Amino acid sequence: MHIDYSKEVPAIAGRLSLSEIEELVAIPMETKPDKKFYIALSISGTALLIGAIALALSFYYGTGLWGNNQPVAWAFPIVNFVFWVGIGHAGTLISAILFLLRQKWRTGIARFAEAMTIFAVMCAGIFPVIHTGRPWLAGYLLPYPNQHALWVNFTSPLIWDVFAVSTYLTVSFVFWYVGLIPDFATLRDRTTSSLKKYIYSIFSLGWRHSNRHWQHYEKAYMLLAGFATPLVLSVHTIVSFDFAVSIMPGWHTTIFPPYFVAGAIFSGFAMVVTVLVVVRKIFDLQNIITMDHLEKMNKVILATGMMVGYAYAMEFFIAWYSGVQAEQFVFINRAIGPYAWAYWIMVSCNVIFPQLFWFRKLRRSIPVMMVVVILVNVGMWFERFVITVTSLSRDYLPSSWAYYTPTLYDAGILLGSFGLFFTLVILFTKSLPVVSISEVKAVADGAQPAHRGGQSHE
Amino acid sequence: MNNEKNIYGITALFKSPDEIISAAGKVADAGYKNFDVNTPYPVHGMDKAMKLKPSRLGFVTLVFGLSGAALALIFMYWTMSVDYPMVIGGKPFFALPAFIPVTFEVTVLLATVMTVVLMLALFFRLPDNKHPLHDTNYMKLVSKDHYGVVIESSDVQFDESKVKELLKSLNPVNTEVVYYPIAEKYPIFQPKFLMFLFITVLVVSGGTYFLLNKLMYMTPFDWMMEQDKLTPQKTSELFSDRFGMRKPVEGSVARGFIPYPFMGVDNPKEVLMNPFIPTKENIELGSKKYLTFCSPCHGDYGDGDSRLKGQFPNPPTLHSTRGREFSDGMIYHIITNGQNIMPGYSSQISRDERWAIVNYIRVLQRAKNASDSDLELAKKETGGNGTN
Amino acid sequence: MAQIDFKFEKKELPAGLSKLGYTLLAIGVVLGAIAFFVDHSRALFNYLVSFMMVLSIGLGCLFLIALEYVAGADWSTPFRRIPEFFAGLLPVLLILVVPLLIGNHTLFHWTHTEAVADDKILAGKAPYLNFTFFLIRTFVFLGIWILFYFGFIKNSQKQDDSKDQKLTTKNIRLGAIFIPVFALSITFAAVDWLMSLEPHWFSTIFGVYYFSGTVIAALAAVTLAVVLLKERGFFDPWITNDHLYSLGALMFAFVNFWAYIAFSQYLLIWYADLPEETFWFLTRWEGAWAVFSILLIIIHFIVPYAVLLSQPAKMDPKKLKFIAIWLLFAHLFDLFWLVMPNMELLKSGYVFSWIDLVFPIAATGLVILVFNFTAKKANHIPIGDPKLKRGIGFHL
Repeated sequence: MHIDYSKEVPAIAGRLSLSEIEELVAIPMETKPDKKFYIALSISGTALLIGAIALALSFYYGTGLWGNNQPVAWAFPIVNFVFWVGIGHAGTLISAILFLLRQKWRTGIARFAEAMTIFAVMCAGIFPVIHTGRPWLAGYLLPYPNQHALWVNFTSPLIWDVFAVSTYLTVSFVFWYVGLIPDFATLRDRTTSSLKKYIYSIFSLGWRHSNRHWQHYEKAYMLLAGFATPLVLSVHTIVSFDFAVSIMPGWHTTIFPPYFVAGAIFSGFAMVVTVLVVVRKIFDLQNIITMDHLEKMNKVILATGMMVGYAYAMEFFIAWYSGVQAEQFVFINRAIGPYAWAYWIMVSCNVIFPQLFWFRKLRRSIPVMMVVVILVNVGMWFERFVITVTSLSRDYLPSSWAYYTPTLYDAGILLGSFGLFFTLVILFTKSLPVVSISEVKAVADGAQPAHRGGQSHE
Repeated sequence: MNNEKNIYGITALFKSPDEIISAAGKVADAGYKNFDVNTPYPVHGMDKAMKLKPSRLGFVTLVFGLSGAALALIFMYWTMSVDYPMVIGGKPFFALPAFIPVTFEVTVLLATVMTVVLMLALFFRLPDNKHPLHDTNYMKLVSKDHYGVVIESSDVQFDESKVKELLKSLNPVNTEVVYYPIAEKYPIFQPKFLMFLFITVLVVSGGTYFLLNKLMYMTPFDWMMEQDKLTPQKTSELFSDRFGMRKPVEGSVARGFIPYPFMGVDNPKEVLMNPFIPTKENIELGSKKYLTFCSPCHGDYGDGDSRLKGQFPNPPTLHSTRGREFSDGMIYHIITNGQNIMPGYSSQISRDERWAIVNYIRVLQRAKNASDSDLELAKKETGGNGTN
Repeated sequence: MAQIDFKFEKKELPAGLSKLGYTLLAIGVVLGAIAFFVDHSRALFNYLVSFMMVLSIGLGCLFLIALEYVAGADWSTPFRRIPEFFAGLLPVLLILVVPLLIGNHTLFHWTHTEAVADDKILAGKAPYLNFTFFLIRTFVFLGIWILFYFGFIKNSQKQDDSKDQKLTTKNIRLGAIFIPVFALSITFAAVDWLMSLEPHWFSTIFGVYYFSGTVIAALAAVTLAVVLLKERGFFDPWITNDHLYSLGALMFAFVNFWAYIAFSQYLLIWYADLPEETFWFLTRWEGAWAVFSILLIIIHFIVPYAVLLSQPAKMDPKKLKFIAIWLLFAHLFDLFWLVMPNMELLKSGYVFSWIDLVFPIAATGLVILVFNFTAKKANHIPIGDPKLKRGIGFHL
């Protein structure tokens, strides 16, 4: 097949008109949920329920129910936290970074990706809250007024995490909401239900599509994107600092910040592809979320997967080069020690399987895509597991070595986090527009004037 | 009901982006200032066509971003370097590299949130669901797939017929006159809203009170308040005497403490031997300590002639035969253990210092009862007759 | 899209350019020769700094070419020849590397086999840090880069006449393979020629650090050339301030990226406070090096950040010219800060010598000459590229 490079690929296919776009996106919110919806919701709801039970029991009996112990004091909770924060990053990247790079193809998927970011960060936020075992005392972690001059330790990466993740959640939410305002206005103006009109009026803040507002709006959007980009890089960087500022072998290595960021984008895009393949089929959005979009995302997955592979190689080489025995041991131990099974799952899922995306046919095949991206998510979860657990279970003092086993409650809470994520996604599809109506209209065929009003900037 | 005399403005709708661009340009060229264009999404080149000045939103971002950075740094400086400085990880109190991440996050947070909040509140004056354009046919079509221009009556040049003429000349799909809605009472004083505020206050304050003052003391949240561990004054079922607080085991010695075997013995048959040679430093130390602890009672030169002479506790002289015949160890014992009404000074004077005092007392005693050879030596050394 | 009539006219670069190049190179070579006689060691270290600078520009531009193909970008197509011309520096490196190889004993402590035998740690690294393997690696890397260079250029130039879209497909495939190969080769080149100057020190992010500076240098060189040529009518009216904006935005982004990588490396080593890592930074705080370290942050981050922050600044040709020259200097300054404190004499503090100013002059002359030479051999716009029309019509 022959690609014509002189033709720009349209951002959306099917030559949809503005009202057709609106209909396609608004229909799910105006129709009653069907059987498939309830089946999906009950599956994710069950997972959520299992997690809730595991959590309730953990609060009742204490965190002794989990597998955390010396020497592996950090285990599932932090692995899950890093996993979910990483998944959130794809959303901001698609929204903000692709916006700054002027990639029009992001418009069909940006809204969904942003929503996924917020849900993923919410899932991530569960873990710092519950990991003390007594979350109702969490207020004491904040700098509350006290008489012993007690302040938080601002030099601790755990505090940096608090600031980073809450800023990330806030800014992502603000970014998402700002994008929703024009869509709420559109929904307000087309709905016939007076209750829905009332709700949409409140959330749209009275937006009336005025170009005097669009001017500032576009500027704000660009500013938000400009801030969200370094923010998303900083969040996973700060998460990597949790490990890298220590002196643990296998953790203290300078490449962790960009390595973690690349890994986050890698797993995030994989989750986005996982969800979008399903969503576009169910809601008939194949012309808005096209095969070209999926292929581009798969290319990003390939690229970031290779960055992760590069980091593995560098860590390994420099561990040898440094001559530090503890560091050299860590990498041998990962490959052939007691957790070798986890290590090789990680390497095959993150480095080997994504190589299938070198081939155009495979990049554009739905079944291949789905298998690869699910494996990528598995691999990335195992990467965090390998990093955390192997270094802790065998560090400097052999007499302290021990094998960590997660308990059923650990697994239950992890399952519950997936349940929460997918429940929120499923509810989202029926309550809010999954595609940004105004943005997609703006890149439809014939949406922009043929002659630019005025000359280009000279 | 429309107020016939209160026109907000006149609108015109178009079906393509090219038309709205040229329409906007023509309206701007005609000199109108209070007009607006409504499009379902931003149309490229519209800002130029409407002759809009560039947005100044960036300044808001810059100001709040810099303020956020300053705020974060100042707060961290004050808490970590002034209010309660602690050495953490061997780093300086103002550990700038460690403060960067938080500074960055606060900068971004403040910049983005304030940009959006001020944009909505100040630049847009939103929320505003009572604007005249709401619920008009114009707005409904614009929201979907039309583009419109509205010329407001507040414009200086506004004249109903002239405006209608201009708009018609642009070939719109339709035009519409929009009126102001009937003025309403400020919703803030409506009983429904007031009731809502009141209930919110009740719920929030009652909820907070319950949460913090009551719930934390209810099961299971109070479980950690009742703990099995022993606290001072608690009885214990483990020990037969039911005392929770235990004395140290017989013969325990506090750290850094060497036991004195003759403590509490009044006339010890054995005493310790003086391990210190009376060097110059040792005697100076002894002199210092003697003057501090001993001279208030026994006088500066051991004559017992302090202010307390003749009064309680009437301290004796150290130059008596008995005093001179005491061994070093005996004097040491008296300082440590006390004698009669004199208390023991073991908790105030360290062992080495006590020996130094002993040496000094020996010097005082020798000086008071100097032999001829001593005087000769003194004369030779001082070059006088021994009086200085 | 605006209707632009694209009629290409081949233009000659001004004659003064090669004159300037020869002059600078001549001055640089003469002074450099004197420098080698006066202070052999200092000259070698400075030579290395300028060598790595020239490598940054050549290899960085090759990376930019590959990136354009792989990302499918069209805004950079009209001036893609500029990085192609700069990448012509790569074959020249084969000659330029020779003084470094001859002077390896002065530069690299790990070549002193007796000292290595006594040092357990260095002895452990000997399977990698030995001159034979080093030599092989050097020529393998240079060879790979030169091969890819000729591969890209051949396809690109052939397309001017044939207008065959398959050549674009070929270059996209070449680019996709090049990028991972580039990542590994530039990393190990940086490890070999920069990090091993202090063989006891190590940092996994070092390759990324050199990469970030390389991309800035390449972007700065391209921006400078594009603006200068645009001023002299080479690209009018096809390249507008909108294209320049993209270059400005990329420079801004990579300035941020460099600062991020530099700060990450510093923070982690500062925080853990391990002597086997911190000594490298402590050397760069001795005496006058402390001033250099502070200046590095200001020159390489604070000033470019402030200048390029606003949207109009990113598309202003005057500001872009200034910042391009500034950033080229900044990258040179960065390399100087990386290399020179490893010199035995300067370990306790920087002391000025005229030798430090010599080799950048030669390097500038060389870059100008090579650019001039390669530019003569090809059109300055890829007239056969299918993305060209889209690229010319690019608007913000």
